[in-house]
Formats: sequence, C-alpha cells, structure tokens
Amino acid sequence: MERELITNAFSISEVQIEETKIKAFNKDSRTNYSYRVYDGENAGVQFVQGEIDEEAGFKQAEDNLILERPYKFSLESGTRHRNKTEREYTDKELMDISAQALEYLKTKFPDFIFSGSIYTHKGIRAMKNTCGLDCSDTDCTFEISLGFKHKDSKDIDDGWFSIGQRTFDFKKFTDMAENYLTNFTNKVELPDELIIQTQYYGYLSMLHECLDAENLALKTSLLSGRVGEKIFSDSFTLMHDVSDKEAWFTPFFDGEGVMLPDDKRVYIENGVLLSGYADKYTAEKYGIEHTGSANFNMTDVANNGNVNLQIARADKTVKELLDGRLTVVPIVAAGGGFNDKGDYVTPVQTAMLCDGERFIGRLPEFAIKGNMFDMFGKNFIGVGSDNPIFNDKQILVKMDYSK
Amino acid sequence: MYRFPKGLYADIRIEHTLSANYRVQNEEVKENSETSVAGAMIRVYDGKMWYTSVTNDLDNIQSELDSLASIAEPDEDIENDPMVKKFEIHKDKVLRFDGDNDLRNVTRGQREELVQSYISACFENTPPEIKQWYAGCYQFHTVKEFYSSKGSEIVQDFQQCFINMWCDIVVNDVKTTAGKTVGGMDFNILYGHEQEVLDRLDRYLDYAKNAVDVTPGEYVCVLAPGVTGMFTHESFGHKSEADFMLNDKTLQEEWVMGKKVGSDLVSICDSGDMLHRGYIAYDDEGTAPKETWLIKKGVLTGRLHDANSAATLGEELTGNARAQDFGFPPMVRMTNTYMEPGDISSEEIIAGVEDGIYVYNVNYGTGQGTFTMQPNCCYRIRNGKLAEPLRVNVVTGSVFQTLFDIDAVGNDLEFCDISTCGKNGQSMPVSDAGPTIRVRKLTIN
Repeated sequence: MERELITNAFSISEVQIEETKIKAFNKDSRTNYSYRVYDGENAGVQFVQGEIDEEAGFKQAEDNLILERPYKFSLESGTRHRNKTEREYTDKELMDISAQALEYLKTKFPDFIFSGSIYTHKGIRAMKNTCGLDCSDTDCTFEISLGFKHKDSKDIDDGWFSIGQRTFDFKKFTDMAENYLTNFTNKVELPDELIIQTQYYGYLSMLHECLDAENLALKTSLLSGRVGEKIFSDSFTLMHDVSDKEAWFTPFFDGEGVMLPDDKRVYIENGVLLSGYADKYTAEKYGIEHTGSANFNMTDVANNGNVNLQIARADKTVKELLDGRLTVVPIVAAGGGFNDKGDYVTPVQTAMLCDGERFIGRLPEFAIKGNMFDMFGKNFIGVGSDNPIFNDKQILVKMDYSK
Repeated sequence: MYRFPKGLYADIRIEHTLSANYRVQNEEVKENSETSVAGAMIRVYDGKMWYTSVTNDLDNIQSELDSLASIAEPDEDIENDPMVKKFEIHKDKVLRFDGDNDLRNVTRGQREELVQSYISACFENTPPEIKQWYAGCYQFHTVKEFYSSKGSEIVQDFQQCFINMWCDIVVNDVKTTAGKTVGGMDFNILYGHEQEVLDRLDRYLDYAKNAVDVTPGEYVCVLAPGVTGMFTHESFGHKSEADFMLNDKTLQEEWVMGKKVGSDLVSICDSGDMLHRGYIAYDDEGTAPKETWLIKKGVLTGRLHDANSAATLGEELTGNARAQDFGFPPMVRMTNTYMEPGDISSEEIIAGVEDGIYVYNVNYGTGQGTFTMQPNCCYRIRNGKLAEPLRVNVVTGSVFQTLFDIDAVGNDLEFCDISTCGKNGQSMPVSDAGPTIRVRKLTIN
C-alpha cells in the first residue's frame, strides 16, 4: 500500500476598502490536506481542512478504499522545491501601504470613489508519497484590486483596475491609476478599425474546453479531427507554461505529481494543433500520451483539466505590433462570451481608447463580435513582448462591432 | 461562553458543513466523496474599522478574539456607535433540518441508487447526437452558530441537495449542452423528475438541429419565468443593495424612495423568510430576515441592508447581511427575490406579440446599469405563436429604461432554487423568481 499527501496552504492578509475608506483588516490562513492511499487497483482519498493527526488522515483514506475508486497507475517520484517569493510583507507594512495608496487616490482623484482590497497572498502547494515524490511550490504576492466610480455616474461602478507584484512598486501602482483615471471623463468616439487590447485569459476559455482530449475524442470539441492541421495564425503558439515567472500560484507539478520537461507543453505551435491535454486516465482510455494535466482533486482521484495556457509572446512590443494604430481596451465587458459555434459576442459596458500604452479617452458603450478561428487566425495580431497597461501579458486582436 | 473585550463590538460565526458528491460521466464514476469542514470567523469592531480572523481551530477562538482585540482601539462609547446600535439581539435555535429530512442521514447508497435510476431512465438508448453525458447528486448540510458581544446566541441550519442530468449534443459539428438540475431541501424532492429531463433533452435536441442565428437588433421579448427571475435579480436586484451608495450623493438621488422606476405592473420583493434557496433564519450579523418590497407598482419602496448601510442611510435593517461561509465577512446580498405575478397567462402574453423573441432559458447574467443575460435557448415569435428556435448570444438592456418597458406580467410565478449569485468574490445561494413577462424592447446580439 502506497501513501500520498497533497497539501494546499494559503495565508491572506487583506485591507478591505469601501468608498475610499478602510472598512476592515481581514486575516485568513488555512491548510487543506488530501490523504491518499493506493493498493494497486484503487485509491482511497480523504479530504481534511485544518489540522489532523497524519496517521488518522491516512486511516480515513484507507477506510475509503471500500468505495473502489479506480487508480492503477504508477505514482511519480523525484524531489524538487521551488519558492518564487521575492518578499514577504508584514501586516503593518500592508496597512501602511494601504493608507499611502488611499491618501494618493483621495488627493489625486477626488472625483472618484474606490472600493476593493489591498492584500498579501502566500500559497504553498506540496505533494509527497512513499514512492519518493517530494515537491513543493511556494509563491507570495502583493496585490491591489480596486473598483472605481465617478461621483457623477449613475451606475453602481464604472470600472476597475488591479496590479499584482511580488515586490510592490508604488510607482507602478500610481502609473496604472493615472492611466485609468486621468482621461476617464474625456469622451471619445469609437475608431473605425476595432483592435482589442486586453489580458487574454477570458478568450482562452473556449480553447481550454476544445483542447480537452476527451472532448476531442468524443467529437464534442470544435477542434475534433483536426490534430495535425493548421487551425490558427502562423504567429499563434499556445502552451501550458508553469515556468513563466508571471504565472502565479501555478505549481510545476500536476495533481498526479507529474513534472514536465522545462515546465512546458506546447499544444498549438505556429497555428498547428499538436494534441489535446490528458491526465493519465484519459490518456490510457484514448490511447494517447498523457500531458501532466491532472487537476488537484483533493476529494477523489485526479481528473483531467490542469493546464495553465499561455500564448507565446511576439518579439515586438505592443507599440511595434500596432505600428501607429489605436486600440480599444475593454474595462468592463460582462455578460457575453463564446457560443457553441465558437462565435464570441459581448457587450462592452466600459472601454477606453488607447495608443497601445496610454489611455486617450472613454468610449461609448458598444458590443463586439468575433469567432475563435478568426480571433486566433487572420485577426490575431499578437501578444506583445512588454506589459504596458496591465502589468501582464495582453493580446492584440481585430474584432467587429455588433449591435 | 466567550469573554468579549470591553470597548469593542465583536461577533463570532462558527460553521460545521457536511457535503457529499456522487458524479458519473459516460458510465464512469468520476467522484464519490463525503467531506466535513468546520471553521469560524471572529470579528472585532472598534468604531472605526473591523478586524477579522478565520480559523479551523475551534478550540482557539478565544485567543483569536483576544488577539484581534489587542490591535483594535477600544471605544468606551462603542454601544452608541450608530451601526452597533442597529445590531439586533436574539437568543434562538432554529434547526429546521435535523429531523426526518436531515440530509446527513442520506447514505452513499441512496445517492448512487438515485443517480443510477435517473441514468437508466434518461441516458440509456440515447440518440446518436448525444455524445457524452453527466449525472450527479450533490448535497450539503450546514449548522451555523452566532455569538455577539451584545448578547446574541443563535444556532440555525440550512441544507440543499441537487440532482444534475446533463449531456452534450453534437449536430453538424456544433455542441449544444442540454439538461436539467433539480434542487431542493429534502432528498425526497429529487425523485420523479425523469420525464422533465427527457422533455428538456428533446427540446434541446430540436434546438441543436434547427436553431438559426438571430439577426442582431432590438426586439419585443417575452421572458420565461426562470428568465424573469434572473432578469429581476440582475436588472434591479443588485441596484437595491444599499452598500454601493453609502456616501454617494448621485446614487442616493437617483434611487430616492418614492421615485417611479418602472411600469405599474412591476412589484419586486426580497424575503429571506421563504423556504427557498435564499432562506435564512437569521442573517450573518444576527438580524432576523424581513419581507422587503423593493418596488411596489413601479415605485421604489425599499432597499436591502446590512447594519452599516442601514445606519449610514438612516433606514431599518432588512436581514440581508450574508457571507458565503465562515471564510468571508458578510455584506449586503439578496435572499429570495421575486417579481410579483400578474393575472394573465403566458399564452396570452405571447399571443400579443406580432414579431419578437421568446427567451426560454439563460446561462447567467450580470447586473450593472446595463444588465445582460446569456440565453441558451430562444424562439422567434411570429403572429402570436412560437416559431423556429433561435441562437442568441446575449440579451442586454438598461435598468433605467427596461422596467418601464414591461407591458405584461403573467400569472405563472416560478422559483428557481439552483441559483448562485457572485459579488465581490463571494458566491451566495439565492432564489430568483418571476412569472412570464413581456418587454417592449431589449437589445439582442
């Protein structure tokens, strides 16, 4: 009988802001454990939040073998520990920075009301077993996430901005606030050519679904039957990447303890679909290679789906990719998304006209439409090598206006 | 009991939750788990701000309380703080789910048997267009304790269970997800919905085969009861949550009591008393829930409060301070929110539309000034009758206009007891409800 323990611990200290005042100081520190035993055919799993005697945890897991949850794969081995922490902030430092940030916002932007939070977040994911696996991944960030509303606005909020850093740089925060707010009341017209500039995670949801190896096999994916084909732009490469220092709280191992070479796995290379993603069970079922994509299912056997999809950056900066063209940056674009055909439509409640780096003015409400194959195909401009607006990667893609 | 520090208001919320999940996908059991989580949130208020701490160590609550008190600044007059004065005091135990209906007594075998019976009835001999299916049963039971320095001692419980029956239909290489979730507070309520599931699968199979893309534009729309429930929640419900307007003069003037905000046909109420998914015996500040009429015949008559917003705006508590669980502080949230039904049938409402769209079902919605809903099944209305199925991406409207555009309200009120509302990072079980309604103009994309 082999034993395995997955640990997921987090610690958050948060200054809660309500209407530009400190409402609360909140602390939350908890640890989740998944005790797991394997008899060669089945796994017994027991989830525990909070402290428990380790032997008692494994005893409960053994009792759950009666449920006959199938797991016949070899457990992983190997030792690796990664700590991406640059700096840990004390609660007093957090309070002082929060007070400083609020004072700056009140003085510099008195016509706006701010709500949200300023917080530190430490997370540790660890996994060890009796086959020699012993790995852990630690990360620690300082983040500011604020909603804002102009005092004359009749809406409940107008937009939001957030910045996360491992070492907090106050100037980067003030640069972001000034970019978002200085020209917010400057009303401008929509450009004829619609180039969207935004963080791209929301656009990858459809690809996450489509690349599931089971969906590909069962033909419930828009990409079924197209492995090996050119489906997107030459400049579009998509990969699971947990080596990226900008990808936070993403461990280098998956829910089965698999560590990938170079911490990467490419799924779409220069527009060509290479494969879907699969955990060990899915891979065996469909006769394909597993890709280290098991979720951390703390309450049962691992399941498929743990991919941290990233679009490869271009060699050029955002400005260089735009070559003088203006972009539209959606600040609030809620309520739409992809439909089953891969068409993307969403209303854009708040958006700013941008030169690629600085906001020029606020645009009227509108709606955008596109299609997954066009967005990552002929209309894909690229992901810049720099992070001018969000302190994060951002996609440039042509879209169309809708009603 | 706990030793509450002087010069401070403090409260403690302790929760014990048992949950169970049995899930099958394409005849393979994907999950069969039972979990137990216990924890507490401790809060201290010194008249200026809150200090909170979350712990799983229930033996250590007193030391957490003392630790928080040590960093707060005591105020001898804390009892006269406007918010502290608002907090109600109750000593009560309301355990509605510890008898024969207690979900903690449901065995793994019962869950498996239930799900397998649904699979036999609904997913055997499926048409070839159904490429994969998902069936499952999920349940939870929570006991919550609340203790405050003003003297409240409350114990209450809540529970819910669900049967999920969903599948992926593929027609012409396009996937359509179809199915039904039934939720309730008694395990027995999960039995006997097989025909509803089969009817839903038939409807979406027809939709997958025959739906045509809508031409974007403005249309007369008839909303099915479940859609009206979400519309009510998103279009107006969120604007009734008072925490967004505490010191905001523009919004206080915009949403002043007595203002006409909709047609005479529109009345909307929120009540945590009702035994639906938003039920509470007390809110997470220890306030008893009230029936709050937000709109009466188109006139703004109320809004939802926690103690802070009620004190700031000089209004009464409504019992709407709710937290997702012990890991989160409470804030203003809806409970069971419904639009009052009218007196005509849905058929009569549809018959009054020469050219429009019937929104049968939606995935989710959002609720700013421009509210949105993402439908998963719509139909064209021609000459007063339902016509071909339509593929619609998103429905939008302005709350400032749409409530005035409602010109028919049906008599078929239905509660949706599977809704979850997201706000500021917290997910909250709520119930939305409404009848069939007709809106003169909504934007369709």
